[in-house]
Amino acid sequence: MTTTMQSTSAGAPKAWPRPIPDSSPLHWVFRVIGVAVIAAIAIYIGLNATPSTLGNVTEACILAIAAVALNLLLGFNGQISIGHSTFVGLAAFAAGYTVNFWHWNAYWSLVLGIVLCFLLGFALGLPALRLKGPYLALVTLAVAFVWPTVAKKFLEQKVKKNSLKGTHLSPPTWTGLVSKGKDARLDKAIFLYWCGIILLLVAYVVVRNLRKSRIGRSLVAVRDNETAAAVMGVNLKFTKTITFGISAAIAGTAGWLSAARLDVFNDTSFTILNSIKYLLALFLGGAATLLGPIVGAFAYFFLDDYLRSHAPHWTWLPGQLSKGPIASFLLGAIVIAFVFIAPFGLVGFVKDQARRVFIVTPRPLRPALTPSALDDERPEESKGE
Amino acid sequence: MAHLLQYVLNGLANGSMYALVALGIVVIYRGTNHLNFAQGEMALLATAGAWWINDKGVPLAAAILLAAAIAFIGGGVIEFGLIRPAGRKSPFAVVVVTIGLFQGLNSFTSLLFPKVGNGVKFGTLFPNKPADFFRLPGGAIWRYERIGVLVTVLVITGLLFALFQKTKVGLAMRMVANNPESAKLAGVPTNRILMMSWGLSAAIGAIGGALIGGINANINVSTMFGVFLLASAAATLGGLDSPLGAVVGGLSLGVIESLVSNYPKNWVASTYIGADTAIAVAFLIILVVLLVRPSGLFGSSRVERV
Amino acid sequence: MSVLLEVTDLVAGYGAVQVLRGLDLSVNEGEVSVILGANGAGKTTTMRAISGMIQRNGAVRFGGEDITHTSPNDIVKLGIAQVPQGRGTFTDLSVSDNMRAGAYVRKGGAAQADLDEWYEIFPRLQERRDQKAGSLSGGEQQMLAIARAMMSRPKLLLCDEPSLGLAPIITQELFAILGRLNAERGLSILVVEQNANLAVKIAHSVFVLETGSIVASGTAEDIAKDDSVRKAYLGY
Repeated sequence: MTTTMQSTSAGAPKAWPRPIPDSSPLHWVFRVIGVAVIAAIAIYIGLNATPSTLGNVTEACILAIAAVALNLLLGFNGQISIGHSTFVGLAAFAAGYTVNFWHWNAYWSLVLGIVLCFLLGFALGLPALRLKGPYLALVTLAVAFVWPTVAKKFLEQKVKKNSLKGTHLSPPTWTGLVSKGKDARLDKAIFLYWCGIILLLVAYVVVRNLRKSRIGRSLVAVRDNETAAAVMGVNLKFTKTITFGISAAIAGTAGWLSAARLDVFNDTSFTILNSIKYLLALFLGGAATLLGPIVGAFAYFFLDDYLRSHAPHWTWLPGQLSKGPIASFLLGAIVIAFVFIAPFGLVGFVKDQARRVFIVTPRPLRPALTPSALDDERPEESKGE
Repeated sequence: MAHLLQYVLNGLANGSMYALVALGIVVIYRGTNHLNFAQGEMALLATAGAWWINDKGVPLAAAILLAAAIAFIGGGVIEFGLIRPAGRKSPFAVVVVTIGLFQGLNSFTSLLFPKVGNGVKFGTLFPNKPADFFRLPGGAIWRYERIGVLVTVLVITGLLFALFQKTKVGLAMRMVANNPESAKLAGVPTNRILMMSWGLSAAIGAIGGALIGGINANINVSTMFGVFLLASAAATLGGLDSPLGAVVGGLSLGVIESLVSNYPKNWVASTYIGADTAIAVAFLIILVVLLVRPSGLFGSSRVERV
Repeated sequence: MSVLLEVTDLVAGYGAVQVLRGLDLSVNEGEVSVILGANGAGKTTTMRAISGMIQRNGAVRFGGEDITHTSPNDIVKLGIAQVPQGRGTFTDLSVSDNMRAGAYVRKGGAAQADLDEWYEIFPRLQERRDQKAGSLSGGEQQMLAIARAMMSRPKLLLCDEPSLGLAPIITQELFAILGRLNAERGLSILVVEQNANLAVKIAHSVFVLETGSIVASGTAEDIAKDDSVRKAYLGY
């Protein structure tokens, strides 16, 4: 009641939602503030957090990178993949094996992982040229299902053990994170944390630039209407296979980071359940938005973490409930509830709310295209009078 | 030859169970064009229910039928309460809901039946003592239990075909699957039919789950995981909108799996092919089939509206 | 002559887009009414609104009963059958199953007598009764659509642009059949058409639809005399 009274008495009719022209100074102010806040949080965590918190955030970054990769494929190109856990696993195995057995430099193993994932992704993109929707989903599902058996054979035949050691990536000397003894764990955690943040940033920038480029427009065109896109001159084969390859390569960096973080991993570390986690994180944040997968991954990770550590102690739950996998059940229920509360994810939800306050109006394509461009120099003031 | 026959027989038994779960997937896909990722977990919940009812002293066959009946209602409720409202949001939303259900139902099963969470013994409907088998000419043995499972699946498939082809409800289901708009104009209450499709699918899954529990003599929370993957592969191989395809796909997947896991060791001492990689080979074969026929063996390729 | 279908002040559309803006029309018992209109005038929307396929406001009365809030399947049961635009064939079903599909609302399903009757009227369908309906030609599918709709024994048949995509000779045949159905069985028909000449020939009354409302109506003779309508829709 009071709020409505105030807004009417304030006497600012039609001031809200307030239009903000794209790339206007005000828009830039908002952007800069946004980036600054996120950067400040990232730096604060990097300087102050405990090793276990840093580890958690790094783990969330891994999830976020995988979700960003999936978003490029599913959100922007409309090709569903339930096989992204395979790419993550492949890159992790490549890193773990080359570092431990061939004594490679860990950074070269990242390059190898990216190349391998790109090639496998590209190869998977080939059936995608003929298969659609659920048929494609099932092929990627099959890949995710086959990966653990391949990984197991690999461990048996090549590693001769039932697990593979991590890459034990240690901070280079120039970072100054070279303490011995007690602080070594913290230093390593800080270093991996920054690796996670930087790789996530790189993944974001790659996808963002792709999306905003000509290729990005053809991705979306293919998603929305394949036939129409082909008729307009989009090379379907190229677009679909390359997108699959790039998406897989990005997922590969998540795998490399996993290999650096984990002490040991094996054939059961990267299963379909991981792929499902990537999908859920993506949907939670909002598919087909640039920030969605990142927001979703962090939300998913910390929600999962919170439920797992707290739900078993909820004594107010009736009977045996708190003893079972209540966290996992609640997570499923929350995801379903989200479909109805925020069908376009957290980012979509926030955008919808923000749209009541500010609307970013697009820049005119080219001034020459609008004959009245000269008159539009001060449109708002003249209309106001 | 005896070996070959033996492997085929074993494969048919496993394949018939894949076929049954695949049928459940197909019944839903035909109606709504959605792949139900929760199909296996719906079956898990129903099978756990059957175990619980049986545990309370009800004969197993009756317990399974009762669980299937409850699953029928449950499937309808899921369609009405979750899938349909989600479908009004976007097709993506339905995918998310079924994936959410996959996660939720699995843990719900162990919340509701904590014992199932750790695995429980599951009875079988068929004689399965060590001596319960036929000896076929050539030396292959055919266990009564495997025969029983195969026959059960074939009977259910037959009933399902009769339902689709001979009854009014079946006609309505085919109408809705083929052209929902026209079905509505012909007076079909499409929503009710979709609810029934989900219910039917859940009931089929319940029976499939019970058969699997019987063969394994055990159910636990991860029982359905692999079965769903194989069943969905079978459904894809056969064509997602073809019940016949689901049965053919399921049986052939079972036989391929059995042959691949047993045969090569007789030819080559390969260290790379064996029981655990059989699935990989089976999936590879499916991939090749799909590349030649992108809508599966019996699936109809629909012209996409532009 | 009693009024069978009476539509008053019909408002309908898709989401935020309003297509029909207070449309009035009526069909008398045993008569053929035709709605003429250009692309986008709202003809198909009118048909869908009458059948209850989309949200609608206003009043739709059928045989004296208010059906504004009745569900599509109950409307079919009351006796309105629609031949949708594009024929609405169940392409994966056999021709005979398509016919049975039309009789869905009738208790006990399709009577063999009805099937035989329509096969007699459309012998081509009998020849092909076990084929998939999707393999029929456009004209055959249109015949099938009419036979399918008639299997529900409707009192009122709605035909949405039956001539769409058909050769002129087939179209003539089609309207001859619609005329016969009306003359011999007293079936009331509401036809939507763009190519109006044939339709007006079998019509008793005509409605002209422009941007969501009726701008002219009258008997077929009156409308044919109206110069502006004649020029715009009849082309002479």
